[in-house]
Amino acid sequence: MDIQRGNIIVMDRRRGKLRAGQGLLQGLKVVWDHWIGSFRKNENFSQIHGTFTIEYPDERMKLPQAYRNMPVLIYDDETGHELCTACYQCARACPPEVIHITQAKDPNTGKMVPASLEFIIEYDACMSCGLCAEACPFDAIKMDHFFELATDDRMGLLQRKADLNRPISYYTTIAPDLWDEVKEGAMKKLQGSIKRRPGVIGIAGHLSDKIAARRRELEAEAAAAPPAPADAAPAAPAGKLSPEEKAAKLAAMRAAKAGGAAPAAEAPAPAPELSPADAKAAKLAAIKAANAAKKAAEASAAEAPAAPVDEKAAKLAAIRAANAAKAAAAEAPAAPVDEKAAKLAAIRAANAAKAAAAEAPAAPVDEKAAKLAAIRAANAAKKKSE
Amino acid sequence: MLKTEELQINIGPQHPSTHGVFRMIVTVDGETITDLKPVFGYLHRNHEQIAEVNTYLQNMPYTDRLDYFNSMANNHAYALAVEKLVGIEVPERAEYLRVLMVELTRILNHAGALGFLINDMGAWQTQLAFGMREREKILDLFESASGARLMCNYFRFGGVARDLPPDFMPRLKDLLIAMPAFVDEMERLLRENEILLQRSENIGILPKEVAISYSVTGPMLRASGVPYDIRKAEPYSIYDRFDFDVPIGAVGDVYDRILVRIEEMRQSKRIIEQIIQQLPDAQGGHINPKARQNVRPPAGDVYARVETPKGELGFYLVSDGSLKPYRYKVRAPSFINLTPLGDMCRGYKVADVVVILGSIDIVMGEVDR
Repeated sequence: MDIQRGNIIVMDRRRGKLRAGQGLLQGLKVVWDHWIGSFRKNENFSQIHGTFTIEYPDERMKLPQAYRNMPVLIYDDETGHELCTACYQCARACPPEVIHITQAKDPNTGKMVPASLEFIIEYDACMSCGLCAEACPFDAIKMDHFFELATDDRMGLLQRKADLNRPISYYTTIAPDLWDEVKEGAMKKLQGSIKRRPGVIGIAGHLSDKIAARRRELEAEAAAAPPAPADAAPAAPAGKLSPEEKAAKLAAMRAAKAGGAAPAAEAPAPAPELSPADAKAAKLAAIKAANAAKKAAEASAAEAPAAPVDEKAAKLAAIRAANAAKAAAAEAPAAPVDEKAAKLAAIRAANAAKAAAAEAPAAPVDEKAAKLAAIRAANAAKKKSE
Repeated sequence: MLKTEELQINIGPQHPSTHGVFRMIVTVDGETITDLKPVFGYLHRNHEQIAEVNTYLQNMPYTDRLDYFNSMANNHAYALAVEKLVGIEVPERAEYLRVLMVELTRILNHAGALGFLINDMGAWQTQLAFGMREREKILDLFESASGARLMCNYFRFGGVARDLPPDFMPRLKDLLIAMPAFVDEMERLLRENEILLQRSENIGILPKEVAISYSVTGPMLRASGVPYDIRKAEPYSIYDRFDFDVPIGAVGDVYDRILVRIEEMRQSKRIIEQIIQQLPDAQGGHINPKARQNVRPPAGDVYARVETPKGELGFYLVSDGSLKPYRYKVRAPSFINLTPLGDMCRGYKVADVVVILGSIDIVMGEVDR
């Protein structure tokens, strides 16, 4: 048999000129050399003598950038947005099938959003092959360098999104060159997916400050957006009120009146003579007050959904009035027995109603402004769509 | 006349000398082996069946786990099989990187295998420690290129996963400076050592004809005197571009197997030196950019084989035109090299069994798939 570009060498089994025992000594010399060499440190790959031990827990080997242990998800430091878009490429590529993804949905429209709601990797079954990181078109999943995963809790190795999230700044410390290679494309794709993420979807869950900042931003946007188009279209003249506004005003006035009427009706009730008739009157007054207060509460409650900004104060007043009226009503049945108590109840109800009335009138003013803003926004939106 | 009685004993499956969970049913007459039956299957993990439910690329990391010493060589065989089936071309540079990794694998395998063999002979840890040190250096290189030391998962269809990092070549050149010193030192330690000669010379002889009839491959076959190396007989990849010699043994005993492995390390170093010379001129990138990793091969079957450090590793794939292989068969060198163990051991002493088994250089992960 002949071989191209090389020869067949028959291994030479012949012994050398060494005498018996000298071969052993020659081998011992090798071991001796290594023992002598072990007193100094092996500096580089070209030496075979010297210690090359790294005293592991105290000192650590510098891991190469390409080193891969377990997959992690990365998010952008600045915006807090995760790069993952829940495209399921990694889950499909995973040989042991340990990646489980749930895609996020827009709560308003119910449509899928390019972000993950939950992302689970079973670290206990992961084989660290790195195919998920290679398959990821958004560079959202990367292989971590952390390897001290030993635990006595096997289920603790089931890593959820909160455990997997790492900032880009972390990844650039472990693999700066690898990140530089993909940085541009990854950030471009991230900007694209941020545009399609409503609300706070896609922001890493543990970044509560980023989420709060995003919420504030959204609120500011909502508040700032309407006036700009409203200037262009002075749809609602200050003097004239729309039918809705009129209705709101009317309701508010009624509530105020009802609140005011109650004390008027009750005013004569606390008479010096404590006759059964008087008691009856007191009861009546109490019921009236309760009804009035209830009405007021209902009126302001009906307005509540329409008035988004300053409805709180009005609602609070209404609720207070209702509570007070309820309390009065609860005490009222006792009136025939103890007229004094009835009187007291009536007075209490009256006071409560008064307080409610005092607060209620303030509400419509604020509500007006709120409603106006809402209508203006609606108009602007209409105009825009037209 | 005094008569002795034959005794049947088990060596393994839990035995430190069996390189894993491997059982030998040994029939002994006193100290002499009259029969030996190897029993495999204790590490069976359904590798071939798992491969049939995976896509073609998903099998790549599983091939790492066959012979966990030589994951690069396993990857190479599997990548060749799929590339042959689909018809993917590999750029020149990628071929060089592949051969570089596989030849480094050969060095680290032999460094480790000889260490374990000497360990089996009773020279506890001495040669193993020296061999492991050189092996670690190569594993450092693998780690910087592929990301992992053992389960490299470096090969892809049409190339390799990523190009070499910038510090790879200087470190490789340093390593090649150390390598002759290491191999020479190993030879000084082993070659004329009287104890080693006593334990290995004329022990476990595998005659040429028997080796061929058992279809033994790799250093085992070459030590028996058959100059058969797939890199020469059927040059795959770019092995036809390199000058290297094929060492063969004269007798086919354990000592020849040691000598052949030592010489193969030298030849691998020669190949790596040629790669370092030729790599800068190589065309193309580390991977064929047109090659899809999620392959859907046409219906058909293919067999591709490579010369791993242990012998011929072949992958037989049958495709039915879907994303997953219809059949996936591994021709594992460790498994087939282990089958003539009974023939090799007959007539020798019990203590020789351990040495002969060590000289085959098996990895149980490949024997039982």
